[in-house]
Amino acid sequence: MSNQPLASKNEPVIKCDSVYKIFGDNTQRLMQENNNSIDVEKFKNEGCIFGVNGASFEVHKGEMLVVMGLSGSGKSTLLRCISRLTDTTAGKIFIDGENLLEMNSKELIELRRNKMGMVFQSFALLPHKTVLENIAFPLQVKGMSTAQSIERAAAMVELVSLGGRENYFPRQLSGGQQQRVGIARSLAVEPDIWFLDEPFSALDPLIRKEMQDEFLRLQGLLNKTILFVTHDFDEALRLADRIAIMKDGVIEQIDTPANIVLNPATEYVAKFTNEVPREKVLKCEDVMEKQDKEAKTSTITVAAEAIIETVAEAVLNESKPVTVVNKKGKTVGVLNRKSIIHVLFGENAH
Amino acid sequence: MKLTKLMATSALVGAGMLAASFASAADSKKPIVIPTHNWSSQVVMAHVIGGIFESMGNNVEYVPADSQGVYEAIRNGDVTISHEVWQSTFGASFYNAMEAGGVIDAGTHEASTLEEMGVPGYVIEMNLCPGLPNWEALKDCPEVFATADSGGKGRWLEGPQSWHGDLMPVRLEALGLADKYSVTFAGSADAIWAELESAKKEKRGIITFNWTPNFTDADGFVFLEFPEYKEGCRKEDGGDGSCGSPKGWLKKAANYQFPKTHPAAYKMFSKLSFTTTQIGQMAALVDIDKLSHEDAAKKWLADNEAVWKPFTQ
Amino acid sequence: MTTAFKQNKLLQFGLLLVVFLLLYNFIKPSDDPYLNMLWRLPALIAWLPQWLTDTIKYIMFDWISVEIYNPELEDTEEVSLVKEITRSLSWFVLFFIQSIREFLVGGIKTIVTFTSWDFISDNPWAELPGLPWTVVFGGATLLGYNLGSKKLAALVGISLAYISIFGQWEPTMKTISLVLIAALISVIIGLFLGIFAYRSKAFEVLITPILGVAQTMPAFSYLVPMIVLFGLGDHAGALATVIYATPPMIRLTLLGLKAVPPEVVEAGLMSGCTRFQLMYGVMLPTARQNILIGVNQVIMQCLAMVVIASLIGAQGLGDDLLKALNSLRIGKALELGICIVLIAIVLDKLSLAWANKQTDYFSNLSFSERHRNKFILMTILVGGIILAMIGKLVFGDGINYFFIIDTNKGITTDWFWQAGVDWIITNWYSSLEAFKVWFWEDVLSPIKNAFLGMPVIATFTLVAGIGYIIGGLKSAIIVSAYLLFIALTAWWDRALITAYLTTIAVLVAVTFGGVIGILCAQSTRATKVLLIICDTLQTFPSFIYLIPAIMLFNVSNTAVLIAITPYAMIPAMRYTVEGLRNVSPSLQDAGSMSGVNRMQRLFSIELPLAFPHIVLGINQTVMFALAMVIIGALIGSTADLGELIVGSLSDKDGIGNGLILGLCVAFIGLIIDHLLNTWARARKEALGLA
Repeated sequence: MSNQPLASKNEPVIKCDSVYKIFGDNTQRLMQENNNSIDVEKFKNEGCIFGVNGASFEVHKGEMLVVMGLSGSGKSTLLRCISRLTDTTAGKIFIDGENLLEMNSKELIELRRNKMGMVFQSFALLPHKTVLENIAFPLQVKGMSTAQSIERAAAMVELVSLGGRENYFPRQLSGGQQQRVGIARSLAVEPDIWFLDEPFSALDPLIRKEMQDEFLRLQGLLNKTILFVTHDFDEALRLADRIAIMKDGVIEQIDTPANIVLNPATEYVAKFTNEVPREKVLKCEDVMEKQDKEAKTSTITVAAEAIIETVAEAVLNESKPVTVVNKKGKTVGVLNRKSIIHVLFGENAH
Repeated sequence: MKLTKLMATSALVGAGMLAASFASAADSKKPIVIPTHNWSSQVVMAHVIGGIFESMGNNVEYVPADSQGVYEAIRNGDVTISHEVWQSTFGASFYNAMEAGGVIDAGTHEASTLEEMGVPGYVIEMNLCPGLPNWEALKDCPEVFATADSGGKGRWLEGPQSWHGDLMPVRLEALGLADKYSVTFAGSADAIWAELESAKKEKRGIITFNWTPNFTDADGFVFLEFPEYKEGCRKEDGGDGSCGSPKGWLKKAANYQFPKTHPAAYKMFSKLSFTTTQIGQMAALVDIDKLSHEDAAKKWLADNEAVWKPFTQ
Repeated sequence: MTTAFKQNKLLQFGLLLVVFLLLYNFIKPSDDPYLNMLWRLPALIAWLPQWLTDTIKYIMFDWISVEIYNPELEDTEEVSLVKEITRSLSWFVLFFIQSIREFLVGGIKTIVTFTSWDFISDNPWAELPGLPWTVVFGGATLLGYNLGSKKLAALVGISLAYISIFGQWEPTMKTISLVLIAALISVIIGLFLGIFAYRSKAFEVLITPILGVAQTMPAFSYLVPMIVLFGLGDHAGALATVIYATPPMIRLTLLGLKAVPPEVVEAGLMSGCTRFQLMYGVMLPTARQNILIGVNQVIMQCLAMVVIASLIGAQGLGDDLLKALNSLRIGKALELGICIVLIAIVLDKLSLAWANKQTDYFSNLSFSERHRNKFILMTILVGGIILAMIGKLVFGDGINYFFIIDTNKGITTDWFWQAGVDWIITNWYSSLEAFKVWFWEDVLSPIKNAFLGMPVIATFTLVAGIGYIIGGLKSAIIVSAYLLFIALTAWWDRALITAYLTTIAVLVAVTFGGVIGILCAQSTRATKVLLIICDTLQTFPSFIYLIPAIMLFNVSNTAVLIAITPYAMIPAMRYTVEGLRNVSPSLQDAGSMSGVNRMQRLFSIELPLAFPHIVLGINQTVMFALAMVIIGALIGSTADLGELIVGSLSDKDGIGNGLILGLCVAFIGLIIDHLLNTWARARKEALGLA
């Protein structure tokens, strides 16, 4: 590992550069007439629909980017462009520095067999295969022997806590269990990149919460590079390292959950953030102030990573600012009662 | 080119000349394909002839075939022989196939055939229509032969129209019976047998097309006596159709290669000839004695060695 | 006013009817050839059958000739290349049929294939002996047990025991060998064409009407072409069966593939499937439900063809059945028919069980457990052979009951059925006389004359008008095109008679079938029983109804209708029951809560909702009735299209006549099919059921 050039280490795992996906029978013709450059207004007037409209972003190793948008916003289309399940009209997509759109079908198959895994909203399990066979399927497709693939699949079953249900058929499982199988299948080949397309949307609220916890546990264990699509803003806030909010094919804002909540870039984004209980989203580090060396601080400390909600009461009970420390125990800032009150009751509260 | 060649060969073989010259060569071991149709005498005779072939050391194979479609099959070599070619029913198909080439005439049975309208024996015995079997008697009793859908007229149950076209309607017209009788075309031989059987149970009057030799011979079927057939009497020959059917031949047909591939077998087949009685016996073993076709053939062969042995010499 | 008219279909139909009746009453045959075209169109395509015959014969026999050395004749022969190719295909199919057959009942052809006729004549020991029936019985029962359950094993065992004990072992095995190969070919071709149609829209557009024609064209009409193309024998029977059995497989494969959820396809792609892996590992298995229905349909269709295939050389039950009917042995024909039904059920259940079989990866089996089936099978084989040898000692030269019970030497209930038929005829024939006269004179005859008295312009107005009201201009054009083809042949009057017979058969079948369906739908158990009866009747050879119908009703239109109706009633019953049983329970509850009684619920809730489905049943009833046109023709007295189709077997222009006549029947079917399907689809959408 260490002998790899430094450049590749910093290289984003996924890189999108002005990606367009345009629907419409005349797209091809318009593209040719326009010398492959895109004139959004003109194309729209001709009846084209923009599934993805000029998306550019990067996802780094171990990062989880959640793409959030309502139905028809183009979030799933974007995901399918990046997994190349659909053809991209224009733009460039790089996976580990390699140009995805120029790969031939053989290279693409290799890429998917070794680097990518995907989880689907409707689970998309093969109805004729058991839990075990479903999980082993991507391995067998690669050419792994039945015995080996089944052994590996059995390990995956344990990972997603489905032990004892190996020989069940999908139809015999609940929705949550089916999605665990979907997750196990997508992870069976140990991919670097993990795509999840609204994986929990079809589940009941309680199960959804449970699955999100499960998902976070897995991510803690595996640390994959993740592209996660959802229409649920709360889910996005809960899971994301960064969130991309999409509307009509355009990425309205891409930032960390805290920044989005604190500084919504557009009115559309603000509509989502207004309703969000901030204390449940923001962390101490998001609202802390620089430590004033002179000022006295309280005797207690809080972790920079801690959600405000969990520390609010303690901080409010202290008369002096509370020290914020990072994982290594080093002081990174202080938290005032005022900041907490702002979080809890809004900027105008005094 | 090819057609004329085939026809020339057929004609030559038909004359029996080639057969003689090839007789010394050994028969091919390839099986002789014998068709079976859906009436008993034909099936039993197929197994009888097959048995004779086998006694001569030939291999034999039976294939179910439609009795009309079979000539096309013989022409193409899918079937080797046909041993019951009825003049009036299959004459046309047979000559059509011969004309197209590939089928040869392998001689005629001793049995002469008759295909004619007639009544079951009890109709005469019970005197349901006095004067029968003379056709003139029909004038006085159409109601005896009426059915629910014949509108009070007497009904003639004719075979399928594809067998003899409008022969019977024309005859009714020519004999002046058209206002008292009408023709219904049955769809198949089965339909005729079913009607006969049903009529017999109630001893109803019925006029139906039939032929001899047939299994009905044993039951005493009586053919009607129409004015005698004369050359040129039929409508297609320029006449008015006011005559009965002629006695017909019962021929044998073979694929044109048969004399060359199986000279000995062909020689036997061309000599082979059965009488009306013998054919009737074969049918009766199945239809009356309820033997299976194969068993009937075995029994017939065992009982009639004197009849068939000479054909093989 | 105009918008009201546009929306009120009833008004539109009323107007159409008025126009139709006016045309009907005022157009009469005319001496003026142009004016007469309103009455009957000139037979402009009367040349087509002859042309078709000549073309096919030319391609088959004269197109490309090659010189081939014939060792039998010791001479080179000029043979047609096309014929050689089709005959090679025949040979190939025949070889597989014979191999299975000789494995089951013995024979020499398989050995001959690898040696020669001379070899087998010199070495008679080399003949395959065939398996004792006990071995096949035991093996099949074991298979049933392993694939399914004790229940399936019992079903398979009892069926095979019945077949053996009733002395139909050999013909049944002959039929099975043909059906297995025909079904296999149909399934494979159907799968591939279905996949191809899924991948290529153009191919789908091309093949859809061909499938429609193949499914509605009476099998009889392509028998002569089959003989010309492939020769006479089991292979021709098998290939004719394939033509008949493949269309539903193609349709259901296509339907199944289209119904695969896109996410499943994506899951397959993301797993890194190649195109091949995606199709065979993901899509086909996911579409399995539909494909299995397709396989089931193929098996049913193959067995429905058993009797017809025997007309062009297929051996086995069909051939025996025709011979039994010819000697009027209804009881025997019935037993043979039951054998056909039993094979259908057994093959169907076994194939379903096989498809649903799953592998257990964790069962840690010991050596003996893993090889248990092989042990049992070996035991059955050895035991069966020993038993057959003992049998030889015990029974001597008689029938060796432990080896194969000879054909027709088993138990038979022939006499019982025969006595039954006799009883019915002696007791009912006369009492039915009044009914027969009434039915013919007051019902059939007037309707027949009404059909024949219909001017061609009135027929077109009516059919195209209904098409326009139901499906707009496009429908009107489609149905008119079908009708035009028929009108331009020389057989328009015959087509009218076929239409008249079909109409009455459908009316009777829908009335009785509908009532039976409604009654049975009231109880779950009755529904189940009815569906089993439908399955049975569907494979039960309808040829058997022919003889009793004639015996009771003479060779007459009445007998034809009586023979057609039981078969045509099957879909009427099936779809009525299905439609009613599928009305959603919440709607039923809603009805009950609004206080309707049982009758009201049936007529105001269940029937209206089930009606679109029932209409599809009526559509199927029409198809079934048309398929029976041939059976009607075998009875006679009809002068319809079917009579000529049967006649084409003996016709020297039979190829073209058969095919064009078959097309006429198919087009009548397709007109009805188009109209009813379009209506039912629109109606289902309106009711939100689609």
